Amino acid sequence: MAAKTLRCVVVTPECAVLDESADSIVMPLFDGESGVLPGREPLMGKLRSGELRLTGAKTRSLFVDGGFVQVVRDTVTILTPRALTPSQIDQAAAQKALDAPSAPGISTAAMEERQAAISKARAQLKVARSR
Amino acid sequence: MAKTRELVGRRKAIRNIRKITRTMELIATARFKKALDRAQEAQAYTAKIAELARDLAASGASSSHPLLEDRPKPKKSLLLVVCSNRGLCGGYNASILREANGSLRKNREGGVETRLELSGKRAIAYFRFQRVPADESYTQFEDKPRFDQVEELADKYLKMFLSGEVDRVEVASMKFISPARQTASVQTLLPLGGIPRKDEAGAPGAKQVEYEFAPSAQAILDDLLPASFKQRLFKCFLDAAVSEQIARRVTMKAATENADGMIKSISRQYNRARQAQITKEIAEVIGGAAALE
Repeated sequence: MAAKTLRCVVVTPECAVLDESADSIVMPLFDGESGVLPGREPLMGKLRSGELRLTGAKTRSLFVDGGFVQVVRDTVTILTPRALTPSQIDQAAAQKALDAPSAPGISTAAMEERQAAISKARAQLKVARSR
Repeated sequence: MAKTRELVGRRKAIRNIRKITRTMELIATARFKKALDRAQEAQAYTAKIAELARDLAASGASSSHPLLEDRPKPKKSLLLVVCSNRGLCGGYNASILREANGSLRKNREGGVETRLELSGKRAIAYFRFQRVPADESYTQFEDKPRFDQVEELADKYLKMFLSGEVDRVEVASMKFISPARQTASVQTLLPLGGIPRKDEAGAPGAKQVEYEFAPSAQAILDDLLPASFKQRLFKCFLDAAVSEQIARRVTMKAATENADGMIKSISRQYNRARQAQITKEIAEVIGGAAALE
């Protein structure tokens, strides 16, 4: 029988950030947000930067900066280079990145980089404000 | 009189130095604990990356990523030497530099051009003395290397490797095996040493998990390889930090013990000199008294 709760583990190269149980988890998969409930099929996926939400006894929200996810036997493991709790996010810096004017006539690669920076900043702000 | 004074002065100096070495030993012990904790926390990520790579390989993702390709005739190699910023840690830096020199010599004999990058003031000072020009040097990696800093470096190396600017990335650093054993070695980080084969996948008895992949096993593997390289480079720095503290602790412990021995022998000399002086003075007094009679 599937367990009633999920275990969510977030690890970064520096430390294990989080190891908690939750009823459901919403994570930023590479092509959009995706939810996980207990009893899910094993999954391995790529993440983009965005918000990781845990719903359970208490709701938690974390900013993850890309990485990978592995779901096996009701354990969700998130591998990410950076994970920030709402209080760790530098709101001012994120806002600045968001407000920075985009230079006209930049190359496609630079444009993509800028788009990534914008979505990252936006996600950070969202997590910070959801507190 | 002059001799006892001199001995007292020397003993005092040694006592002061002993205090310093003892404190440094304690500090190194504390820092070592912290560094080791960090290294162990990082272990979870490393293990997980390896597990993912194994599962991906088992599910048939092919291993033909440019990061895995062994270039048959390397023309240019990059050597990163990870030393400490501070000295007083015994043979720590010397043994790393010895390995680095060996690798440099081998490259020179093989006709491979080497791009030399140095981390730590000790390495910079050494190669300046040897008149070997370094292409890049860093001093920002202290005893708590942060992943962000290392990632910057790793991104640069990845770019250089993929653009063909360098054909090999090597790191000369201290490898941490156990608290009692560290060895200096030169590791080749790029090209990556290959992902585990299918037959190695899974411990005996472990059931193979059928994954759903998003987007696909191949795409995930392609992203996982750079992450794995970054992690390996980060681990080099973490290991170096731990090993440096261990080396310093051991050295400072030896220095403290040595100071103890010196204090003992000087104390003995001093007591003997003092006694000789007293005996001499008594003899003089008696001699003087006898002369008056």
